Amino acid sequence: MAFTSWEFLLLTAGAAVVYYLLHRHTQWPVLLAASLIFYAAGGLGAMVWLFAIAAVTWGAGLVLERMNDARKALSKGDKAGQQRIKRRKKAVVAVTAVLCFGLVYVMKYWNTTVALFPAAVERVLPRWDFLMPLGLSFFTFQSVGYVIDVYRSKYAAQRNPAKYLLFVSFFPQMVQGPIGRYDALAPQLLAQRSVDWRMVDRGIQLAMWGYFKKMVIADRAAVVVNTVIGENCPYGGAVIFVGILAYSVQLYCDFSGGIDITRGVAQIFGIDMAENFLRPIFATSLADYWRRWHVSLGHWMRDYLFYPLSLSKPFAKLGKWGRHHLGGLPGKILATSAATFVVYLVIGIWHGVNFRYFVYGIWNGSLITISMLMEHRFLAWKQALHINDKSRGYHFFTMARTWLIVLFGRYIGSSPRLLVALSLMATTILHPVPSQLWDGTLLNLGITGTDWAIIGLGTAVVLAVETFQERGGKVRETLERQNGFVQWLAIAVPLIVILLLGVFRAGYISSSFIYGQY
Amino acid sequence: MKEKIIQIMSEICPGVDFATETALIDDGLVDSLDIVNIVTELMDVFDVEINVEDLLPENFNSVDAIAQLIEQLQE
Amino acid sequence: MQPKRWFLMFCATAAALVLALMAFNYVTDPFGAFGDRFFQWFSYDETNNPRVAKVSYLQQHHDQYDSYVIGCSSSSSLPTEALNELYDASFYNMIMYGADMADCEKIANYLLDNYQVKNLVLNIEISDGASYNTESDPLTYGLHHLEDPDLSAFTYYTRYLLANPRYGYAKLQSLETDTILPQSFDVFDEETGTYDKRVRDVEPIGNLETYLAAYSDFTTLDQSGTVGLYQTENCMKSVAAIRDACAAKGVNFVVVTAPIYGAYFNKYQPGSVENFYTQLAQVTPYWDFSCSSLSWEPRYFYDATHFRNCVGEMMVARMAGDDSVWMPDDFGVYVTADNVSDHLAGSLTAQPMDAAENSAQVPILMYHHIVEEDDGSGSVTVDLFRAQMDALLDAGYTTVSLQELADYVNRGGDLPEKPVAITFDDGYASNYELAYPILRERNMKATIFVIGVSVGKDTYKDTDHAMTPHFSYEQAAEMAASGLISIQSHTYDMHQWAPYESGDQVRENILPLPGESETDYVAALTEDFTTSRDLLEAATGGPVTALAFPTGLYTTLTSAVLRDLGVEVTLSTNPGVNTVVRGLPQSLCAMLRIGVDSETTVEALLASLQP
Repeated sequence: MAFTSWEFLLLTAGAAVVYYLLHRHTQWPVLLAASLIFYAAGGLGAMVWLFAIAAVTWGAGLVLERMNDARKALSKGDKAGQQRIKRRKKAVVAVTAVLCFGLVYVMKYWNTTVALFPAAVERVLPRWDFLMPLGLSFFTFQSVGYVIDVYRSKYAAQRNPAKYLLFVSFFPQMVQGPIGRYDALAPQLLAQRSVDWRMVDRGIQLAMWGYFKKMVIADRAAVVVNTVIGENCPYGGAVIFVGILAYSVQLYCDFSGGIDITRGVAQIFGIDMAENFLRPIFATSLADYWRRWHVSLGHWMRDYLFYPLSLSKPFAKLGKWGRHHLGGLPGKILATSAATFVVYLVIGIWHGVNFRYFVYGIWNGSLITISMLMEHRFLAWKQALHINDKSRGYHFFTMARTWLIVLFGRYIGSSPRLLVALSLMATTILHPVPSQLWDGTLLNLGITGTDWAIIGLGTAVVLAVETFQERGGKVRETLERQNGFVQWLAIAVPLIVILLLGVFRAGYISSSFIYGQY
Repeated sequence: MKEKIIQIMSEICPGVDFATETALIDDGLVDSLDIVNIVTELMDVFDVEINVEDLLPENFNSVDAIAQLIEQLQE
Repeated sequence: MQPKRWFLMFCATAAALVLALMAFNYVTDPFGAFGDRFFQWFSYDETNNPRVAKVSYLQQHHDQYDSYVIGCSSSSSLPTEALNELYDASFYNMIMYGADMADCEKIANYLLDNYQVKNLVLNIEISDGASYNTESDPLTYGLHHLEDPDLSAFTYYTRYLLANPRYGYAKLQSLETDTILPQSFDVFDEETGTYDKRVRDVEPIGNLETYLAAYSDFTTLDQSGTVGLYQTENCMKSVAAIRDACAAKGVNFVVVTAPIYGAYFNKYQPGSVENFYTQLAQVTPYWDFSCSSLSWEPRYFYDATHFRNCVGEMMVARMAGDDSVWMPDDFGVYVTADNVSDHLAGSLTAQPMDAAENSAQVPILMYHHIVEEDDGSGSVTVDLFRAQMDALLDAGYTTVSLQELADYVNRGGDLPEKPVAITFDDGYASNYELAYPILRERNMKATIFVIGVSVGKDTYKDTDHAMTPHFSYEQAAEMAASGLISIQSHTYDMHQWAPYESGDQVRENILPLPGESETDYVAALTEDFTTSRDLLEAATGGPVTALAFPTGLYTTLTSAVLRDLGVEVTLSTNPGVNTVVRGLPQSLCAMLRIGVDSETTVEALLASLQP
């Protein structure tokens, strides 16, 4: 059930009505029912995996809590007992993580991995041909995060399996996250509330904004990307660069638009979910970019992979070695850099088992390490060149520098293979053929001039709104202060735009095409 | 101890006024990479063991908070 | 604003938009899903979705019909008029492009259950064995809910009420650019239900190479031989179901298999085609036109799977046992379970027709004024003309009339070994005084195209300005009576000479005037041609079925109007030798002519006659 289907709107509206009609009673089962309907619409078979992940992590939570209690019951002096329980807890977390991520791996990548082996081996290895469950990696990350938090005694485990299942399966976040935290999300899901119209309105507005970005902008840009980026690209570098720009616009508008729909729908139910995008266009460094892009994944990686990894014994040893043998700043950041590489490699592999994602991970890790190493030198340069790093110009320079670095990464992200990415990069620089920008080539990429104008205008609107937000503006609050007519316009215009330019963008076949010129 | 901490932090994150800032994490002046670099350095210098569970924003928002954390761990 | 008020306003706006969308779709009704109450433009609606719009059309017009053709688009050229005559019925051609037998069964049941049906002609195409009940775009390929028991009325109405408004908008736009002749958005003829092929039916067709170059479809056919006819069994089940439903209602059930371009069969797996037809013969006897020597002549096809209207006439003539229409001997066999294997052995290995059997190369010479002595105007002198005629005879040419060409093409007539046609434009007195005696002496035929308004005149019609004298109706009658000269039309008054006309708009040729509406033009052309024809026929007694375009210019609409008025042959001034093809009236459209003037030596003339 896609966000863009009538069924999703009907499910949301129907669930919301029932949810608020029950405001004197327990409401969360309504959310669970809606979530299960949503998930069942994607295929009953896939539900098995949802239940499997939920069951494993719910059980692990209970076991860990019992161990936590046992550990508390031990006297402080019983070091051996403490250590024993700690080892057991670690074992539980490890088994859970292996089971969960093992499933994700097998589901997403087993067949790709099998294909990497020589044909003789490939024939012997069984293939895994189950339907990939919707949102599998998102709810797996979310559930494993919960298990680790219980391991760290951050909060008590959830004993009610139905309530826990709701936390794992809450329907608006099923498709693409954001990856929620139990302590932030579960209390909201399980709360009892009567309708807060303000919250409902803002949820609707946020969802409309998401639909606008997704259906009006991203779906158009996608056509260009599919035409331009790929094997044997026939276009010159300038057009390829336009394709990469279109890919960036598509990626951002599609992903952040989807998240806005998710958060908007959640707000209709009175639930506030964490932001997942913090206007990455304004990032001033690659590290800053990763803080603003897909925030919930970044935080998950930080809390559950980066921190434990960099404070682990092997990395501590590596750090000591670095301080002794390298000395200075490089020695001090050696362990952290190594952990950074691991994190970006994991993020890369999470995107897909492909050599290009490996390179993508190295690329991000290297740049961030280099910038850490160079931080002092940059400061010295800035002083030597009398650059005022608080000035607007410098700020813009850092943004533009980040865009270039990110765009470079986009070549890798958008191409089917690393070689393709490299050849596209080479063409961009060596054979730009800028004349293709105005000789009509752009109008033969699958979309019309009007579509280009809509992408351009739409992107401009997104940038304007984000600039306003970046300066601390609150869009919805500002709107609420306007007079009734303006507020009505802010309903009617977006609805018409989404309907005509989004919903009805595709799915029209001109009669001359239907008839096929017989 | 605070001066030592400030010295460690300034080396890792140049250009931040650690003596007066009280929202280092919340304002994004120090990010997760810096934290880990600082933590490993602190563990080395003060010979304490800082756990993942201790890596909370409230423990690293200011030099005072860090000093408090270290004192607590040294006990 | 109170948050609750905002919410209500949002709901009201969203609801209003959805209602507006529904209203727009209902009013424009681009699929004819609601009966097209406001536009009644079914040819447009049927183009978007024939399955839906034809049912809507029949709901309003079923009392005009008692018999139906059903099948995919290759049935489109089954001529309802000829079928009406054959079965003494009124046919509606229910063709729907891409229809498979699952569709046909539903359509047949709908017709039989809801209307009085006398005859049901089912066209089956070989591809019906390849696809059955396939998924496709519901808006443009879905059935009407009245036809389809599997489609609920709710789904149907929400589908078309919430359809993409661009369809309705395109319909409104097309309204602006609608023309008398079909365009890509209104390809159906509402009253008969067939495709409106008026444009392709007047396209000039000559030699094969030119035709193949214009329609690459025939040369780029997929020859892979891998398509399996795996749906043959389902297809036959549906055919049997239709047969039984017809029998139960006492309806005359006729099955035909439409002609297909021969190479098209090559894409199917070996053996599967034979199996398909054998199974069909087990279910019902059928008229097989699908493969014969005709299938190997691309010019009889609009494209690989769509035979021309003129071939449809042949089919019905064969079914009626009518000998007056030409067709290849092996075309059209009534196949039963008994003769199917013998028939298949012959038809599927049919050889292309011998080009010499079914087509002829015909040069047409174009003369104007003839002069006694060379006056420097380019007019041919009487001596040169005489020499040219002698040379034609010496070279073995036989002169033919345009009527003979039309008989050859349309009625199975024959042509001499080396035919040539001689034509004179404008109707000058010199044709009568100088050329006619020479022709009569040699017993040679010629055709003279006269401008009605200048017959017998030596001054321009509205002024006294002198012009080259033209012969009179009496002289025309005299020449016609010889049996050698045919007097045909060069329009009545659409060949004016601007400097000597009094009106403010001058028709120098048969083209529409600048800014003239299509209806005015059609009226003017009809009026002009019928005047010309009536006067000529009254004077000479012979039929006027040919027209030479003044200055050689014409439009597709011109050709289509003249075709409706019974003109069989039209002539341009484009140079070249014609290829006329039996059974293909388009080979008589805008025929090529070799212009002859005082510079044309006898040798040059003979050389130009070579194809």
